[in-house]
Amino acid sequence: MRAEHVVLVVAAATLMILVVLPLASLIVGSVVDGGRPTLEHFREALRGRLYVQALWNSLVLGAWTAALSVVIGLPLAWAVSRTNVPGKRFLHFTAVISYLTPPFLTAIAFVNLFGPNAGLVNRFVRDVLSAPALTFNVFSMAGLVLVTVPHTFPFVYLLAASALESVDASMEESAQILGAGRWRTAAAVTLPLVAPAVLSGALVAFVNAIALFGSQAIVGLPGRVFTLPTRIYALFDYPPQYGLASALSLIFVAITVAALYLQRRYLARRSYVTVGGKGGRPQLVDLGRARFAVLAFGVAVFVIAVAAPYLTLLAVSVSKSWGLTFWQNLTLQHYRFVLLEYDVTRRAIVNSLMLAAGAATLAVVLGSLVGWVDLRTTAPGRKLLDYVSLIPLGLPGIVVAVALIQFWLALPIPIYGTLLIILLAYTARYVPLGVRSANAAFRQIDPSLEETARVTGAGWLRTFRSVTLPLARPGLFAGWLLVFVPALQELSASILLFSSGSITLAVAVYNLYETGALKPVAALAIVTMVIITAAIALATRLGRGGAGVSVAQ
Amino acid sequence: MAEIRIERVTKRFGATTAVRALTLEVRDREFVTLLGPSGCGKTTLLRLIAGFMSPDEGSIRVGTATLSTPGSVVPPEQRGMGMVFQNYAVWPHKTVYQNVAFGLEVRKVATSEIRARVARVLELVTLGGLEARYPAQRSGGQQQRVALARSLVVEPSILLLDEPLSNLDAKLRERMRWELKELQRRTGITFVYVTHDQSEAMALSDRIAVMHLGELMQIGAPREVYTHPANRTVADFMGLVNLIPARVVRADAVAVGGAHTLTLTLPPRVADGQPVQLAIRPENVRLVPIGRGAPAGGDGLPGKVSEVTFLGNLTDCYVTLDDGTRVRVQAEPGLALEIGQPVAVRFDADAASVFDV
Ligand SMILES: Nc1ncnc2c1ncn2[C@@H]1O[C@H](COP(=O)(O)OP(=O)(O)OP(=O)(O)O)[C@@H](O)[C@H]1O
Ligand SMILES: [Mg+2]
Repeated sequence: MRAEHVVLVVAAATLMILVVLPLASLIVGSVVDGGRPTLEHFREALRGRLYVQALWNSLVLGAWTAALSVVIGLPLAWAVSRTNVPGKRFLHFTAVISYLTPPFLTAIAFVNLFGPNAGLVNRFVRDVLSAPALTFNVFSMAGLVLVTVPHTFPFVYLLAASALESVDASMEESAQILGAGRWRTAAAVTLPLVAPAVLSGALVAFVNAIALFGSQAIVGLPGRVFTLPTRIYALFDYPPQYGLASALSLIFVAITVAALYLQRRYLARRSYVTVGGKGGRPQLVDLGRARFAVLAFGVAVFVIAVAAPYLTLLAVSVSKSWGLTFWQNLTLQHYRFVLLEYDVTRRAIVNSLMLAAGAATLAVVLGSLVGWVDLRTTAPGRKLLDYVSLIPLGLPGIVVAVALIQFWLALPIPIYGTLLIILLAYTARYVPLGVRSANAAFRQIDPSLEETARVTGAGWLRTFRSVTLPLARPGLFAGWLLVFVPALQELSASILLFSSGSITLAVAVYNLYETGALKPVAALAIVTMVIITAAIALATRLGRGGAGVSVAQ
Repeated sequence: MAEIRIERVTKRFGATTAVRALTLEVRDREFVTLLGPSGCGKTTLLRLIAGFMSPDEGSIRVGTATLSTPGSVVPPEQRGMGMVFQNYAVWPHKTVYQNVAFGLEVRKVATSEIRARVARVLELVTLGGLEARYPAQRSGGQQQRVALARSLVVEPSILLLDEPLSNLDAKLRERMRWELKELQRRTGITFVYVTHDQSEAMALSDRIAVMHLGELMQIGAPREVYTHPANRTVADFMGLVNLIPARVVRADAVAVGGAHTLTLTLPPRVADGQPVQLAIRPENVRLVPIGRGAPAGGDGLPGKVSEVTFLGNLTDCYVTLDDGTRVRVQAEPGLALEIGQPVAVRFDADAASVFDV
C-alpha cells in the first residue's frame, strides 16, 4: 500500500470516530425509540410548548445579537478604516479584546451589575437616584442580548473593516467626479459593495450567539429564558431524554447550517470587491468635530464590552460585601479560597491546559493529514475527506457533546465521564480550524520543493519531515494557537461531558456560579483570565522561537 | 470655455515632492497627454485637476473660475469633469445601464431623457444591447467602454484619463487608441490623458507634456518633442537616441570627432570650444559603406560595423567609430552589412539636437 493511502485511511478512520459515527448515532437516536423507528421526538421538539419557546428564544436572541452587532461593528469598522477618528488602535484593540474575552465572564460580570436586587447599577439607580423604574433586570432576553453582543460584534467589525479597506478608492471617486456628494457616494457605491461582508458577519454573529451555552445558562436560566442549548442541557437531568435531546440538537444543527450556507453565499459575492488595478487607498473622511462623537461611541463600546466586565469582576473578587461602598472593605480571602481551599481549581487548571494542548495538537495533526491528502495526492475520495472534516462547523458545542454521548454510551467502552471523551469533543469541534490552517500552510509551499527532495532520493516520509513540515511550521503553529485559545475556555460541550475528575476551568466557574457564591466566582474568573493570558503569551513566545528556527534553516 | 490653467502648482507627500512648481496650459478642445516615467507625478497632477487633492502651492483655473488654491478647493463633485481610471472602476453591483445612468440620476435628469442619453452614449462606445449585463464579468475592453460611457454621458467639458489603456492587451489597445482619438474629435471635449507609453502619446495627442520628477520638461506637438527634445531626459524618454560627444566650433555649429561638422541651432550660453553632446536618433544616422566605389571619408566619420541585426523592415546595427564611440544606426533593410566592415556615418543636422554636458 502506498503512503498516501495509509494517510488517507488513518485520516478517514479518525474522522469516522470523531465526527461521522457520533453524528450518525445522533440522527439514529432522534428517530429510534426502544429499537423502533419513531417521529415522536421530532413531533415533541416541534410541538411541545417548552421546545418551541426555546427555539423561538434562540432565534430572537440570534436576530437581536446579529442586528446589534451590525449597529456596533459597522460604524466602528467605518471609523477605523475610513475616517480620521482619533485612537484607531484603541478602537481596534477594543474589538479584539471583546472577541477574546470568554463570554461567560462577561455574563457573570453583568449579573453583578444588573442583577435585579444585588446588581450594583440597579442599587445605585434605586437607592441613590430613587428611580426604580430605571432598573434593568439582566435575567431577561434583553440582558441575554446585552451580554452576548460584546462577543459577536467583532465578527461584523473585522469582516466589514477588511471589506472597506479592499474597496478601491477609484470606485468611490468615480461617483464623486460624476457629481455625487459624500453621502450619495456612500449609499450608492460603498454600502452595496461592503454589504455582502456585513451580512456575512451578521450571520456569523448569529451562529455564534445562539451556540453560547455559558451566557444563556448564566443569565437566561435565572430569568427562565430558555434557549436551545439550555433546553438540551436540561434534558440531561435525571431521567435523561436522549431521543428528544437528539431531535432538538438536529433542529439546532439545521438552523446553524442554514445560516452558514447563506453566509458562504454572501461571502462569495464579496469577491468582487477586490477588482485588480493599482487604484489607491481611499482618502480618509475628515469628520471635523464629529470625530470626537465617533470616538465617544467607541469609548462607550469599550466601557460596556471590556472595562465593565473586567473591572466589575476585579472589584467583586476583592470585596467583602458587594454594594455601593464595596471599596471600604477589601479582602483577598476569595482568592485564598479558590486557589488554596477549593481543590477543584487546581484539577480544573491542569485538566484544561492538558485538554487544550491535546486538542490543539490532534486537530492540527489531523488537519495536516487531511490537507496533505487533499493538496498533494490524487487519492480518490480526498475531496470527500475535506468536506467531512468541515462538518463540525455546523455543530454547536452542546450538539457535539450530545452526539458523543449517544455514540459512546452505545459502545462497551467506558469513556463517558473521562478526560478522553472531552478531548474527543474538543478535537471534533476544532478540527475544521486545524484543516484550514494546514491547508493554508501547505498551499504556500511550492510542490516543486518537495519534488526536488524526492528526486534526490528522499523517501516520502523523509521529504515530509525535512521539507514540508519545517516550511509549514509557522502556519501550523498559528492553527495550533487558533484551537488552543478557545479550547482553554470551552464550556458548551464540556458542560455535558465532565465528571468531578475531568472538570475544566470554564465548568468550574459555572458550577461555582450555580452555588451562588458570586465573590469566589469572580476570583476564579480572574484567575481563569490570568491563566488564559499567560498560556497564550507563553505559547506565542515558544511558537515564535520555533518559527524563527525553521526560517533560519 | 474649458481651458485649464495650472500655475506653479506644487504638491508634496511628506518628504517627496510629487509635483514641483508646474505650469501648464491646456487649450479648449485640446488633447494633451501627460507623459513620463513611473512616479513622475502624472497621476498626482491629474488628481489635482480633478479636485481629489489640494495643491500646496499654486492655483488651478478652468475658464474664469479658480478651482484649486492651497486654501480652498472646489470638491470634485462640483467640477463637472469626467474621469476614467486605470482600473476602470466600473461598479460591479450595477448593470451597464445603471453604471452609465448614475451621473444623470445625480443631476436629476428626467427618466425618459436618461434612457435616451444612455442609449445614445452606449451606441457611441459600441456597447448597445448590453444594458442589462453586469460589467464585472465583461472583458477589459468592454469595462473600459462602460467607464468611458459613464464619463461621457454627462457631457463634461473636460475629461481626465489615467492610463486608460494600460490594462488592455496590445491589439485592443491599438484599436481603442483610434477610437479615443475619434471620440475626442467628435465630441470636442478637452482631454487630459496620462500615459507612460510614448507611442501612445504620439498617436493620440495634439500636444505632449513630458514630465520628470514632478517637473514639466517640455510641452509641444508630438513631432516637435520627438525631433527636438528640450533636454537629454526628454530625448531619452521619447525613444532610442545616440548621445555623441561633440564640441562647439561656431555660434551655430558643432564638430564631432574633429572631421564631421554640423550646422544647427545650439542651446543658449554655449561658448566656442565647449564640449557638448549631440543627440541623434538611430534612424537619422546615414551609413555609407567604404571601399565599394564610394568616396572614402568625405565629411562622414569612419568606423567599423560591430553588430548587425536584420529586423525585416530595417537593419539595426552598431558602428564603433575610430575613437571608440558606439553609434546605433537603423539603416535601410536593403543595405548588406557585415561585422567588421568599414563604414562612414553621417548625421542629419536637421534631426539632431545639442545638449549641455
Ligand atoms: N497618496 C500619496 N501618499 C504619498 N506619496 C504619494 C501619494 N501619491 C503619490 N505619491 C508619490 O508621489 C510620487 C508621484 O506619484 P504619482 O502616482 O503621481 O506618479 P505617476 O507618474 O502617476 O506614476 P505611475 O506611472 O507609476 O502611475 C511618487 O513618488 C509617489 O510615491
Ligand atoms: Mg499613475
